[in-house]
Amino acid sequence: MAKQQIISLDAPQKMFTVTVDGKQVTVAEGTPVFDAVKKTGVELPAMCYHYAFSPFGSCGICLVEVEGKSNNVRSCTAKVADGMVVRTNTDKMIEARKTAVEKWLIIHPLDCPVCDADGKCELQDLTYNLGVYDIKKGVKKQVPEDTRSLVLDFNMERCILCGQCINVCKEVQEIDALAFYKKDGLTHVGAHEGVPLHCEFCGDCLAVCPVGAITSRFSKYAYKPWQLKKTQTTCTYCSDGCAITLETEGSKVLRVTSKLSYLSKFGHDVERGDGHGGLCVRGRFGFQFIQSEKRLSRPLAKVDGQQIEIPWFKAIPQIARKLMQIKETYGGQAIAGLISGRCSNDEVYLFQKLMRATLGSNNVDTAARYGHMNSILAMQKGLGIGRSTTSYKQITLSDVILVVGSNVTETNPVFSLRIKEAKRKFGAKVIVIDPIQTNMMKLSTHPLQVAMGGETAMLQGLVKAVIAEGVAFSGFMEKYPKAYETLRQATGSLSEESITQACGIAWDKIKEAATLLAQSKRGTIIWGEGIVSLSNGQDNVFRLMDLAHLCGLLEKPGAGIHPVCEENNEQGAVDMGGVPEFLPGQVAYANGRERFEALWNTSLPNAVGLTLPEIIEKAHQGEIKALYIVGENPIETLPASMKVREAFAKIDFIICQDPFLTKTGQMADFVLPATTYAEKTGTVTNMAGEINPLAQAFDPKGESRTDFKIFCEITKQINGNAMQSVEAVMHEINQSVPGYFNGERPTINPEHLAHYFENGFAEDVIKRYQGTNTHPSSDVVNDGIFRLVLGQSIYHSGKLSTQDEGLMKIYNKPTLKISEADATKLDIKTGDWVRVATATPNGPLPLVAVEMQESLPKSSVELAIEIMSSLPKGMVWFPEHFTNLKDLMEVEVDPVTHVPYFKSGLVSIKKVPLFDLSVVSSHSCAINRGEAAQPQDMNSPSPSL
Amino acid sequence: MTIRTFFKNVFFQEILKALKLTFKHSFVKEVTLQYPHQKLQLPDAHRGALGLLYYDDGVERCVGCDLCQAACPSHCIRVVSGEDQENGVLRRFATEFYIDMTKCVFCGFCVEACPVNALGMTKLYEYSTANKRSLIFDKPRLYEVGKNYYNDAKAYLVAHNQEKADESAEAWRYRFPSFTKQ
Repeated sequence: MAKQQIISLDAPQKMFTVTVDGKQVTVAEGTPVFDAVKKTGVELPAMCYHYAFSPFGSCGICLVEVEGKSNNVRSCTAKVADGMVVRTNTDKMIEARKTAVEKWLIIHPLDCPVCDADGKCELQDLTYNLGVYDIKKGVKKQVPEDTRSLVLDFNMERCILCGQCINVCKEVQEIDALAFYKKDGLTHVGAHEGVPLHCEFCGDCLAVCPVGAITSRFSKYAYKPWQLKKTQTTCTYCSDGCAITLETEGSKVLRVTSKLSYLSKFGHDVERGDGHGGLCVRGRFGFQFIQSEKRLSRPLAKVDGQQIEIPWFKAIPQIARKLMQIKETYGGQAIAGLISGRCSNDEVYLFQKLMRATLGSNNVDTAARYGHMNSILAMQKGLGIGRSTTSYKQITLSDVILVVGSNVTETNPVFSLRIKEAKRKFGAKVIVIDPIQTNMMKLSTHPLQVAMGGETAMLQGLVKAVIAEGVAFSGFMEKYPKAYETLRQATGSLSEESITQACGIAWDKIKEAATLLAQSKRGTIIWGEGIVSLSNGQDNVFRLMDLAHLCGLLEKPGAGIHPVCEENNEQGAVDMGGVPEFLPGQVAYANGRERFEALWNTSLPNAVGLTLPEIIEKAHQGEIKALYIVGENPIETLPASMKVREAFAKIDFIICQDPFLTKTGQMADFVLPATTYAEKTGTVTNMAGEINPLAQAFDPKGESRTDFKIFCEITKQINGNAMQSVEAVMHEINQSVPGYFNGERPTINPEHLAHYFENGFAEDVIKRYQGTNTHPSSDVVNDGIFRLVLGQSIYHSGKLSTQDEGLMKIYNKPTLKISEADATKLDIKTGDWVRVATATPNGPLPLVAVEMQESLPKSSVELAIEIMSSLPKGMVWFPEHFTNLKDLMEVEVDPVTHVPYFKSGLVSIKKVPLFDLSVVSSHSCAINRGEAAQPQDMNSPSPSL
Repeated sequence: MTIRTFFKNVFFQEILKALKLTFKHSFVKEVTLQYPHQKLQLPDAHRGALGLLYYDDGVERCVGCDLCQAACPSHCIRVVSGEDQENGVLRRFATEFYIDMTKCVFCGFCVEACPVNALGMTKLYEYSTANKRSLIFDKPRLYEVGKNYYNDAKAYLVAHNQEKADESAEAWRYRFPSFTKQ
C-alpha cells in the first residue's frame, strides 16, 4: 500500500485540468483520478475505497478509460496528469465492472439469509445496481468461522479481501492489529500470523466491512438491519461526545453504529478535518448496561433498616416533606447535592435550580470536581472563559500539538484519532509530555518522557525556553510588555540544569519543543488528568496558559488550548451551574445572584456553597442533614481515608438517584431509579463546548423515570409549579445563558486579560517559577516502594462501564502494571501475585490485621501483576474503574480549587507465593486465584507499535 | 289487468316454475358435500394453515432469516433469531416464531420468500377455537402442523415449483453452512 501523502495546508499546490466525460475539472497535483471524477458529480462504484484512508485498489470496480492507455485504469490508485481525458460510464467499463463483481460472487457463499449484513451490504447493492444475474459455478472457500476473538467473528467465506478493515486499523486508528495472512492456500483476514485477535476492539473494522465478513459476537444473528429502529443520539461515556446511532428492537439495544460505514465511504458532506465518524470500544460495544438485569425499576425506601420497594406516588411526597422539614429546621445550608457529569444539561440546570431556588442551598457539586475544575477555574481566572478555546476541527488542522499529561488514546480514543490524523494527514508535529510512555508518545514526533512528577519542571522549562530563545509571539510582547517582562524575570531565576535534572529531559529537546510551539501557525495545547488530577494541578494549568500566551496560541487563528475532561458532560455540568462557584453560564455566584433572583423570582442563599470535600467534612461535623446524590457514587470513588462512609452515616436523610443500586445507594434512605441515556431527551456538552442532542430510543425500563422528571415532580410537590418539558427548560436556559444552544463560542475579552495581567499576575508568576522540583510526587522512590498511579483503561469509563456485561467480558480482570526493570528486580513475572500496602517514602506502614469487613479501610490488598514496558521505573499503574486499590490512597485536597487528589500515592509491593495467598476479598479482587492474567497491556495492543 | 296477468295470478305460475326446477334437479348430480361427514378433496396448491418443516434428518429447516416477516403484507409474522449455541454448532436459527392466524390473509408470500423452504402451506383449515389467543401459532405449534401435514406442505411446494417431488429434491433443499465450534 502506498504511503499516504501528507497534505500541506500552507504550501501552494500545482493545479491540473482533467476532462471527465467532456467536462473540465481543475484539481491539485497528486489527486487520484477517482476524486477528480467525483468532482464532476459522477459517482463511480468502488468497494475498497473509503475517504478516511488512502486508496488500496483491490476491488477493481472503480475502472475508467483513460485516453492513450489501452488497459482499464483503477481510478482510485491512478493519479491525475495534466490534460488527462477520462471516460467513466462507457459500455466497456460497465461490462468490466460487472466482471469484477462476478469474480467475487463466484466464490461468495451467497448465504445472505443468514448473514448479519443482509440488507446493508455493498456487494448486494453493487450486484443489484450493475445487474449481475448470471453467476458462473465456482468453488466456494469452505472455511470455518473464526470465533476465537472475544468480540469479533471473522467469516472468511464471505470476505471479499477489499482490505478496508486492515486499512482503517492501520491508517485511521494506527493500531495495526489486522493483517492478511495465508492459511491452507487461502488469504485470511485477522490478527497478525493468525493468532486470536485481541486489540482495542474499536470495531471500526466491523463498521467499514462492506459484506458480513466481520460480525459482532454481541449481536450476532439477532437482527436484520431493516428491522431495527434507529435513534441518533450522543455517546455518554467519555467527553468526546461522539454521535452514535442506537439500533433498537422494542426496548432492547441490539447494536450501536455510527456514521462510519460503507454508506459514508464517499464522504459527501465531509470537509477537511471533520473526522471519520468511527467509535471506540466503549461506545460501540458498551450498550448492554441499558438492559441490565441489575437495573432498578421501582423506588426503594429504607424502613427499619431494610430497603423496600415503594410506589412513586408515596416516595415523592415523603421526600419533598422531609426535605422541607430539614430546610425549615436547620436552614438550606444543611442540605447538599451532588450530580453526576453524565446527566444532561437540562437536568443539571433543573437540579441546581431545585437546590438553590427551592431548597435554598448553594451546596451543589458535580463530578468535574475530581479534576476538570482545576482547568475551568484557572481558565476563568486567566482568560475569562472556562472551556476549550478551540474546536475538534481546528485541532485536526493544527500544525503543532502539545499533549501534556493525558493518556489521550485511552481516555478519549476518538479524540486521539484527530491528533493522529493531524500528524498523518497534515504533517503536524506532535509533542507529548508524560511520565508514562503512552501510546500517543509512541506515535509522536517529539516524545518527551519526563521523570515521575517532572511535568511541572518541564512546563517551567518550556516557558523559560520560549523566552530565552527569543521566539515568543510578538503580539503578546507588544500588547502586554509588563506581563512578558514579569515572566522573563521569573523564569530567568531558573537554571537550565535544575530543570533538566527535575524533568530528566535534555535542554536541547526542551528548546526544540518550545521553538516549535512558539513558531507554529496553528498550535494547540492539550492537557488532561495527568495535570489536573494530581497535586499542583491548577498551577500547572496556569503555566500552560503562560506558555499559550507566549506562543500566541490564544490569538493566532486556528490555534488554541484544550483541556480534556473525563465524563461526557462535565463541561456542561459546570456551564449549567452545577458547582457552588458558578451560576448557569459560568457566572460567578456573587456577580450573578441578583440577575438569577429576578429570573427565578425567588431569593438565593447568601453563603458561598460547599464543594464535595467540604460537604464530606461538614457531614463529619454533623452539619449536613440531607444529601441528594444524583448518579454519583462517592463511597466507591473516593479512598477510604476520606471516611465518606462514616460521614454519610451521620447524615439524617440521603436520597440516591441512579439506574443501579450502588454502594452509596445501599446507605440511602430513598433510592430513586433513574434512566440511562437511551431513555431520555436533552443535550450534553462535549469537552470542546459543542452541544450534542440526546434522543429517546424507547420508554424507560420498568417504573424508572428520567432524572428530569424526578426533579420536576419533587419541585412540583414542594412549591406547586414545575417545568413541563425539556423544551421549556431549554427555553429558560436560553434566557439565562444567552446563546448557549446556538453554538456561539465565547471569545477572550482583551479587557479581562489586561485586568488579569495587572492584578496579582506578577506575584503569582514569581510563585509559579520559584523553584523546580515542586511536585510532591517527585520524592525519592526507594527499593520496594513504588508510586502507584490510578489511570483510565480504554475499555472502561468511570464506574458506569463496570455495570456493562459486554465491556466486563472484554476487561474484568484488572492487574497491577509494573515496569520491566522493577519486575526483574523483584523477580516478578506476569501472572504472579503481589501484596500491595500503603507506604511512606521511608518504608511500608506496619500492616494492620486485615479484616473481612468492607467498612474498614484496607491496609493491604493482594493482586495479580502484569509487566508493562511503557511504565517508567518506580511506577505501578492500576485502572481506576476497579475499586481494589483506591483505599490505599491518601487524599490531598487542593486549597484553592478543592479538587481531591487521590490518583497517585506511595505503596510497597511484596511478592506473594501462590499457596500463601491469605485474602482474596469478595468484591475487590475479581481475579480468580492462580489464574494467569490475560495479555491485556493497556498501551501496546499491537506488536508493531 | 290484462287476461294474461289474470291467468298468471289465478294459476300461481311462479310456484309451478319453482316446482319444475325442483323436480328437474332431483335428476342432476349433487354439488354440495355433507360436511363434516364428507370432506372436499383439496388441490395441492391450496393455501391453508402454515407449518414449519424439518429436514429429513430432523434438523429444523428455519434459519431465522426474517425474510417471511419482511414479505408478509399483513404483518402477522414475527421471528426472533439467534445463534444456536448448543451441540457445538454455530448456525443461525429462530429462537421464537409467531404467526398470527387471525391476521393472516393466506397470500403465500412467506412461503415464496423462504430461502430454505422451511414454511409450507397445508390443507389444514379446521382450527377454529373459542379462544382467539390460541390462533397465534408459536414455534412448537407451527412445527407440529408441519410434522402432521408434511405431505400437504410438500405437495404445496411442488405445486408452486419450489421443490421437486422425486429424489432430485435433495439438490433443491439448500442448506446454509453451519460450523462446528473451534
